Amino acid sequence: MIDEWYPVGLFSQLDPAGRQTALMGEPITVGRDAEGNTRVTGGNGRTLPVRLRYGHVWSSLGEPKKELFAIPEADQPGRRFVDVGVVRVRCSPLRAVENFLDVAHFPFVHTDILGAEPHTEVQNYKVEIREDVDEVWATQVKFYQPQAAKSASGGITTEYMYRVPAPTCSVLYKTCPPRPSEWDVITLFVQPLAEDLCDVWPWMALFDDTTSLTDLIHFQQTIFLQDRSILENQIPCLLPLDPGMEIPTRADLTSVAYRRWLKRHNYTYGAQLVAQ
Amino acid sequence: MHSDTTGSWTPVALSADLPAGTVMPVQIPAGSLALWRTDSGHTAASADRCPHRGMRLSHGFVRGEALSCIYHGWSYAQAGNCLRIPAHPGLVPPETIRVVTHMVEEADGVIWVALGRPEGRPPGLEGLVPLRSLTALANIDAIAAAAGGKTSPQGIVEVASGTGTICLLLSRQDEDRTLIHVLLKGITDQAARIAAVRSTESLRRKAEDIHKKEFAQ
Amino acid sequence: MKLYDYILSPSCYKIRLMAALTCVKLDIHPVDFHPGAEHKGAELLALNPAGSIPILEDDDLVLTESSAMLVYLAAKAAPEWLGRASAEEAARVQQWLSFSGRLTASLGGARLTEMLLRPGDIGALQTQGVLALRELEAGLVEQSLRGMRFLAANRPTVADIACFPYVVLAPDGGVPLDPYPAIRLWSRALRGLDHFIEMPGIHRLHELKPEPHIEPGEA
Repeated sequence: MIDEWYPVGLFSQLDPAGRQTALMGEPITVGRDAEGNTRVTGGNGRTLPVRLRYGHVWSSLGEPKKELFAIPEADQPGRRFVDVGVVRVRCSPLRAVENFLDVAHFPFVHTDILGAEPHTEVQNYKVEIREDVDEVWATQVKFYQPQAAKSASGGITTEYMYRVPAPTCSVLYKTCPPRPSEWDVITLFVQPLAEDLCDVWPWMALFDDTTSLTDLIHFQQTIFLQDRSILENQIPCLLPLDPGMEIPTRADLTSVAYRRWLKRHNYTYGAQLVAQ
Repeated sequence: MHSDTTGSWTPVALSADLPAGTVMPVQIPAGSLALWRTDSGHTAASADRCPHRGMRLSHGFVRGEALSCIYHGWSYAQAGNCLRIPAHPGLVPPETIRVVTHMVEEADGVIWVALGRPEGRPPGLEGLVPLRSLTALANIDAIAAAAGGKTSPQGIVEVASGTGTICLLLSRQDEDRTLIHVLLKGITDQAARIAAVRSTESLRRKAEDIHKKEFAQ
Repeated sequence: MKLYDYILSPSCYKIRLMAALTCVKLDIHPVDFHPGAEHKGAELLALNPAGSIPILEDDDLVLTESSAMLVYLAAKAAPEWLGRASAEEAARVQQWLSFSGRLTASLGGARLTEMLLRPGDIGALQTQGVLALRELEAGLVEQSLRGMRFLAANRPTVADIACFPYVVLAPDGGVPLDPYPAIRLWSRALRGLDHFIEMPGIHRLHELKPEPHIEPGEA
């Protein structure tokens, strides 16, 4: 997991003073040098690799063998790109991603926005690990939502596709109310500070010309803050990868595939391997 | 704590702090429990962890005779068996999905939880009127020292107050933390009861000072 | 009435909640507090040199203190929320309105530090927060002995609304609420009021609605 790319800051908020933060337990500094180049420095002063994509600065403590995953929609004209900003959560970075992949909690945690009783049923959907790209994908996920997006007025059945291209990142494709032929893109980029602490950087690429930027930010912050109190109260704090500790159902197939994929790659930073 | 060879009872909350249809977290030495009361008034104590995704059940909600998890709405009976999984309305949850439960007894305004399987019942507290519960960052010895008294075999420290007595029923939460249930004997008028509330605040400050000086590492 | 608002701010939520409870319609103007720091920009500093939100504007009245806004809303729309039935009650309202500033400084500070990475001495903020919660808890126990369920009376007043948000969101700043049974009962009483609204971090009390009967395939 050390060779993967992780988000470490917002590109728009870089300053020469640098942001003191951490990556997987190691203190790092994210800043801009005199020439205006973005620099990420590790604990012992070594220079770490840098990518600037999707509004964020990305880095790695190791030597990434793959390029940062692609989000083709990030280059699509007409979309608005929204930096939602950081929120710190006392939880495993993997639990933060898993929660993002879940729709069954919408009626209880995002009540009257992303879900509402009695519309609690999760219909069957498709999950696969796409071997060619080595990503987890869930498709045809449908859920009734009272207010699916800031641009939505009234309830609709929303369709979702979920994609996990990196152990602490997920990309969500979602029905786009103003443009039915396109998908809105909402991502969750998670910076693992420690196994039980993370900075979460949501980001969006939307077709929505009418909602103010601030409204879009506030909508997504609302959703994430509703999740935060869940994430800080799961026991154990680390994500159990072995079966037996937690009980999945058919609605949890995305999470089952995500855990299997993590285990297969030995992506275990933030995971608990043996049931305790 | 009240032990016999097979288990013990520990006082976890005052009855008045758990109205019908509510849930609260309580601590026992083994960890946190979700203590809840059904709409019809029955008390129950479940492990504070939904077996689905590990969410604390004490953050959940009580509807009718069941406790539901706030995360996905899975609901559980007093006996611990899962009754409902809202994501799958047609599914009868298998018997294997259940939360661990503890025996609960309620008497004289105090709720007790069993650790293990005690044979007897928790001690009676007839004649004592519950006032409040508060948590002190101090161990039982520090609280007894602050109160200037000894702990009775029942785990009660008695402090004379005017014409009556303030009784402290103590429950160890961990090395440095004690839950104090304050019960009054012979203190009935409002002003004296309010004075007792204030004196327990002072007692806690004193106990925490003693604990910090003498017991804390 | 125009409210300059941030959805995650407990101080802004006080005003939204008070308006909801008293059925006052607000014209909400969202401010990009985080990450945009719009409240420190020229336009909002012109309105409030202190650089804080909420700001409530009504004609030429500009209020920048949330307690003043609560009093204004109550005085206009629902004077029973002012808590002026007796000298003691009026004084208790003022006592807790002032006290709410300590909650903002301690629990609010801890929350900003823990959640939005604002600088702060987290240990000191949490310690101050615990002291404030203990004071509130004891105050509520005393009130219950007087036969009153709320901070100043046996009905909610602006004092309850001033204290509620930072208290109920204390866990956001790493300060647990588990040890405070009286605060739990008080918070529940407030959350059960007609027209109560939540903010992110406060979940719906699902028990207030009966369990729906769902047939599979209906959803």
